[in-house]
Amino acid sequence: MQRYTRKFAKSDTVLDIGQTAPPIPGLDLGNDLALIVFFETDCPTCRLAVPYLNKLALGARVIGISQDDQAATNQFTQQLATVFPVQRDSGLALSRRFDLTFVPSLFLLGSGGRVLRSHFGFDKSVLNAIAVQMHCAPVAEEFDGAPQSKPGCMSRHLEPKVEGEFAPAAAIGSARGLPASAIEVPDVEDQFEYCFRTFGDALPVIPPTLERIARMLSAVTVDRSEIIARVPPCYGEATVEKIAANAVMAGCVPEMMRVLLPLVRAVCDERLNVHGVQATTHFAAPLVIINGPIRNELGFAYRQNAFSNVARANSTLGRALQLILVNIGGARPDGIDMSTLGNPGKFCYCIAEHEEANPWEPFHVERGFQPQQSALTIFAAEAPHGVSEHTARTPEQVLKSISYALATVWTYRACLGYEALVVLAPEHARTIHRAGWIKQQARDFLFENTGVPVRAYENAPDAEGSQLVSKYKEILIDGERCYQKFRSPDSIRIMVAGGTAGKFSAVIGSWAAGPRGSEMVTYPI
Amino acid sequence: MAIRLINPMSETPVKVAPPPERLPTLHGKTVGLLDISKAGGSLFLDRLETLLRERFQVASVVRVMKPTFAKPAPVGIIEQLRGVDAVVEALAD
Repeated sequence: MQRYTRKFAKSDTVLDIGQTAPPIPGLDLGNDLALIVFFETDCPTCRLAVPYLNKLALGARVIGISQDDQAATNQFTQQLATVFPVQRDSGLALSRRFDLTFVPSLFLLGSGGRVLRSHFGFDKSVLNAIAVQMHCAPVAEEFDGAPQSKPGCMSRHLEPKVEGEFAPAAAIGSARGLPASAIEVPDVEDQFEYCFRTFGDALPVIPPTLERIARMLSAVTVDRSEIIARVPPCYGEATVEKIAANAVMAGCVPEMMRVLLPLVRAVCDERLNVHGVQATTHFAAPLVIINGPIRNELGFAYRQNAFSNVARANSTLGRALQLILVNIGGARPDGIDMSTLGNPGKFCYCIAEHEEANPWEPFHVERGFQPQQSALTIFAAEAPHGVSEHTARTPEQVLKSISYALATVWTYRACLGYEALVVLAPEHARTIHRAGWIKQQARDFLFENTGVPVRAYENAPDAEGSQLVSKYKEILIDGERCYQKFRSPDSIRIMVAGGTAGKFSAVIGSWAAGPRGSEMVTYPI
Repeated sequence: MAIRLINPMSETPVKVAPPPERLPTLHGKTVGLLDISKAGGSLFLDRLETLLRERFQVASVVRVMKPTFAKPAPVGIIEQLRGVDAVVEALAD
């Protein structure tokens, strides 16, 4: 069968390093360094890049070249408060001469217009490297809510001509959003019934009145119109005000805004891929894990019933996140959220680590933070699967019981593409620690002892997971040939939570894991 | 007295693209087949390609595959489909 494919040109532009860039009309580049940035006004990646370019422009020469008309360009520069000069590429002549493929396209020019560096798309490390090359401090921080990198859009001169009405693009990337509208509920109507019918999901909510939102906003210093993130899959602007409205509906105390703002940034981190998590037919829901001093400051539960209905903090933070994902992100459970069976975590899924009962380093420390730093982690998670082990007395025996549950993550025969969170009960953690084991030993033991017997694949060529056996690694577990379940020990995350009585741990399976699916993210609070 | 609320729903304007007009014929057209990389997608698209060529006499077929079904198509994938007359996307298993 004949196949036709066109090879995608990987190179960003035809201008190589060392070549001389075409002259830019009306602009004398002189012999100083200058960064030329081509952009489109409705390109989300271009808008994402502007605040960083603004920062760079405070100490270096940045010149913006807009591929759009004057009105759109003016709106763009006003919305994003650009501090560098911007000129239009009339007729896209310059774009053709620079021969770009994508925007944003960045050209760092040196003396005589020599190209020192070029890049297309958004990349924090590239922006920081350019800043250093231009003798400036780095401009992009790791945990500012923006992805590390993001591909751009097709350059305007390569776009096909399209018919139809052109609606104004969403102001993606602007620092300020539109003020939320006010809604007047007539006094003949029950306000709770009105809110239940109009907002949220299938649970009643607290009406987001002006007074309640004012109290919520009193706990933060950022402007109410600031856009914290754009929430997938519909990319609604989560302004501070909209987040506060959903926090009110969920029953949060105003101090919870401290956690909610970084939480909304983190959930929209492209590594988590909440776009996919919220639209998949799988069970996944974002599980929030809270660590550090904030647990006790705001009353997060981490002892008995850590996963359930014991504390206002866990319940309302988890609920607020879900309302934000539905109301601002647009993943309605009767619409874009296509989960076949759903997950009770879609009402609320938030736990804290029982650090006091964790004999090893806390979960967020393992993720790169200081013990005294509060942090939140998000994991695209199935519901917890309980593991009871009340009679085992050694680390090996306890972990063996957990490994049998781990083998069933995603589906029994599927290996390598998935991860798991093991929530150790304090009693199990103590049994393992008492024998002198560190957390990494426990993880390594689980990795080496979790597998699926090769015989499980016999006579099952069509079963899910069977098609990929050529990629699986065969190991011996207790003398039996098995395929190793996980890709590496790091695929198994371990935390400690729950009451101090009861030898019940939990295994929580992931959604599709890794860069091709969802990656766990941890943000400071 | 009426109660005033702040609208908690997204009010971000959405850019709506109108669907293109239906092709009067597939004869002589170029058709893109986008495999989102779910298991079984290639079976469906292989059969579809045969039908498009044999029954509808399309001029050519452009086959592309997303690197993962879990994320939106990257710009490079969309670029490969630019210029075709129609696209069929095989969504699921």
